[in-house]
Amino acid sequence: MSYRKFIKRKKPKEQSEDLEKVEPKSIGTSIKENLNIIKQKTGNSPDIIIRMLTFSHDPRVSTAIVHVDGLVDNPTINEFLVQSMEDSVQEKLEEKDIFKVFSEKVIAVSSLETRKDWDSLFQALLSGDTIILADGKKEALIASTRGGERRLVEQSDSEITLRGSKEGFTESINTNTALVRRIIKNPNLWVETMNLGKQTNTDLSIMYINGIVDTDIVKEVRQRLGRVDLDAILDSGYIEQVIEDESSGLFPTVTHTERPDAVAGNLLEGRVAIFVSGTPHVLIVPAVMIQFFQTPEDYYVRFPISTLIRMLRVFMFLISLIGPAFYVAATTFHQEMIPTDLLVIIASQTESVPFPAIVEALIMEVTFEILREAGLRMPNKISATISIVGALVIGQGVIQAGIVSPAMVIVVATTAIASLATPNYDIAISARLLRFAFMLSAAIAGFYGIILGLIMLIVHLVSLRSFGVPYMSPFAPLVPKGLKDTIMRGPIWSFNERPKSLHPQNPVRQGKHQKPLPPLKRRMVRTNTKEGDKNES
Amino acid sequence: MEQAKISTSQLFILMILFQLSNSLLIPLAMKAGRDSWLAILIAAAVSIFLFFIYRALYLYYPTLLLTDYTEKLIGKFLGRILAFLYILFFLYSAARVLREFGVMLLSFAFPETPLFVACAMMMLVVIYTVFKGIEVVARTGELLFVIMVMLAFFLFLLIAISGLIDISNLKPAFEDSPKILDTVFTETLYVPFGEIIVFTMIFPYLNQSKKLGKTGIAAISITGASLAFTTILNISVLGVPLIERSLFPLLTTIQSIQVGGFLQRLDVIFILALVIGGFFKVTVYTYCAVIGTASLFDIKEPSKLAYPMGMTVLFLSLIIASNYSEHIEEGLKIFPLYAQLPFQIILPVFLLIIAFLKNRKKG
Repeated sequence: MSYRKFIKRKKPKEQSEDLEKVEPKSIGTSIKENLNIIKQKTGNSPDIIIRMLTFSHDPRVSTAIVHVDGLVDNPTINEFLVQSMEDSVQEKLEEKDIFKVFSEKVIAVSSLETRKDWDSLFQALLSGDTIILADGKKEALIASTRGGERRLVEQSDSEITLRGSKEGFTESINTNTALVRRIIKNPNLWVETMNLGKQTNTDLSIMYINGIVDTDIVKEVRQRLGRVDLDAILDSGYIEQVIEDESSGLFPTVTHTERPDAVAGNLLEGRVAIFVSGTPHVLIVPAVMIQFFQTPEDYYVRFPISTLIRMLRVFMFLISLIGPAFYVAATTFHQEMIPTDLLVIIASQTESVPFPAIVEALIMEVTFEILREAGLRMPNKISATISIVGALVIGQGVIQAGIVSPAMVIVVATTAIASLATPNYDIAISARLLRFAFMLSAAIAGFYGIILGLIMLIVHLVSLRSFGVPYMSPFAPLVPKGLKDTIMRGPIWSFNERPKSLHPQNPVRQGKHQKPLPPLKRRMVRTNTKEGDKNES
Repeated sequence: MEQAKISTSQLFILMILFQLSNSLLIPLAMKAGRDSWLAILIAAAVSIFLFFIYRALYLYYPTLLLTDYTEKLIGKFLGRILAFLYILFFLYSAARVLREFGVMLLSFAFPETPLFVACAMMMLVVIYTVFKGIEVVARTGELLFVIMVMLAFFLFLLIAISGLIDISNLKPAFEDSPKILDTVFTETLYVPFGEIIVFTMIFPYLNQSKKLGKTGIAAISITGASLAFTTILNISVLGVPLIERSLFPLLTTIQSIQVGGFLQRLDVIFILALVIGGFFKVTVYTYCAVIGTASLFDIKEPSKLAYPMGMTVLFLSLIIASNYSEHIEEGLKIFPLYAQLPFQIILPVFLLIIAFLKNRKKG
């Protein structure tokens, strides 16, 4: 006890002493002192590399190049900084201001800044920039040399499409914003950056199209991000959880994507994208429910096909939500609904099963969830074993042992596939959890329980908002024109207006009369054809 | 009042869902026999006049609830008492609807479940909805309305293709005109059409007050037409004698559907449609009682009242009658004459006359 007390008392004292020692806010004139401060603040870490250069004509004036190993682009530093500076120190300098010489004649990197305060110097140093110090100077140069090992732009694993761009975001925030800029070549594509996370100093960018986006939404995003005071931001998930409208609900009110074309499409509808450094997942706000059933590919294929596919997805979502509940309700409470022949089959199967339908369903659903979670985190080689265990041992064995009826296995398997067919993992997982609630309510009160559950779900969904936009729009509140791009996907030539629920500044999306038409003479109109006209008939 | 706005289309849907709900369930205007559909149409036409009385009151006080402007019209003391009586009227009506749905569920699908459990489950959802406020009620209506329309269409298709309709059950029409009018003014005008008095508590939330007239007329006409249509279906499928003995004629009609040997006993599916309707009526009544109480007793957060008032409705629904036939008897003989007639017609007319006199003086 006393030992603990001792430690507790001691620790804060040490820290405060440290803080008192090293707190000159801005840089001093002596290069040695400055370098000492850097060494001391970084705890003499070996990956902080300091290179001293001394001028031949005046040995008293020395300069230093400081950078962090691995964060910088080595060719840039070697060729454009170190090499050229070494060349220059051999020459005699006419100009007195050494930084002016450096920035105008010697250093050939894209951006150079002078700074005085330690905070921004360290920020730059740790982001991969190089600091140049000089003796007798009360400021330092920051040369942009960011680089280092990065994952290349690859296809995203989680959002695979057959058609459309194969590019996916990487962990580098600059690459990511550039990928979007490459799609929308428009000066109105505005980016705002900020730096969040007290310990991690993570870079963040907000991107939107000025002139389309509702300024209130941008203000709201800025205000919510301005409120964030977290220690660390390791992924955009951290940001998502502190800016969303309802953090305790099951449904996501912020969507994220790994695809630049999805971000571009959303920006053009009047949404705001939030890029977080260190993650390929870009947040998009505001989100509405129906977005989670849409993929970028829907817009690339012809509209009747993507309409059918979207309908299928919503249907799959409903099955994954109430599939087992429906079976439990029908076999427990409403046998009269099932055609007699089928009922006889089900009854003969369940005769030997010792449990009521709800227990069977719970056993199978929980087993499936365990299998899925196990398969998700395992290396590929082991997951093959898991699937064999799942299919043979559990699927086959459980029926032969007479613990679960075959009909129930079919229902659970269908539900499982349906839940995997929902394109967005976030919404699929909420259906996965709610499925258990629906199963229980079906076991208590049959279809009545299910329909009450559905009403409650609808009430909850319509009460949600995402950055001021109703979550169920354009269904409720109804925006008839917005229905074109929901469960249906209207033809591209009919998307003349941007979604109204986002209040875009410029609601007109494209010119009218975009519908392709056959040439006039091929249409069924009465024309006076003369002899000799080129007419097939 | 809460800070919320609803659109005319939302009000339109709310009015239709509200009026249809339990009137689809119970035998409507059966006193008029096979001409009951005519009685329904006449009642709908007459109720448009009633609607204009309510609308006129709203136009005098476009930002106030019914329970607020009674105070302005007939003085603080009497006005508050009247407002309080209206709240009781709403609560009692909610309890009646809840009871009807509870009994319907038990007799058709869950014979062994206690009435309390069936009602309590419904009330749980109602309380949650009322807690969320009028905007959520209206938006929920928009989504559920689509389901209702699809089910209604599906139902009609099934009845039509299963060849149950026998038009001769409807003949001869217009047999006994005085009886039809008698039915209109003793029963059908009050349930469901007169019940739109409750919307005087919702009109102030409307964002476009100019369109109220058109919206109301459209909603009432569509309700009247669809109820008359349902009654025609019931009579042509079942015939008058069977309907008179049936507690829930529409469900009896649905039970007789048989298509292709596998679409049978569909009443369970349609009970669900009726649950949606019933949920709406109870929600709207409870909401209006809650919002009225909040403004009457000056309570800052009306949503806090959802739970206690919801519980009140639940217990009221269990104790208002000792059995269902007593409940029906009260609904047909006592309630219309002593509660619905004064609250739906006499008092609003009286209030309108006072409002007219008061405002004429000012002008």
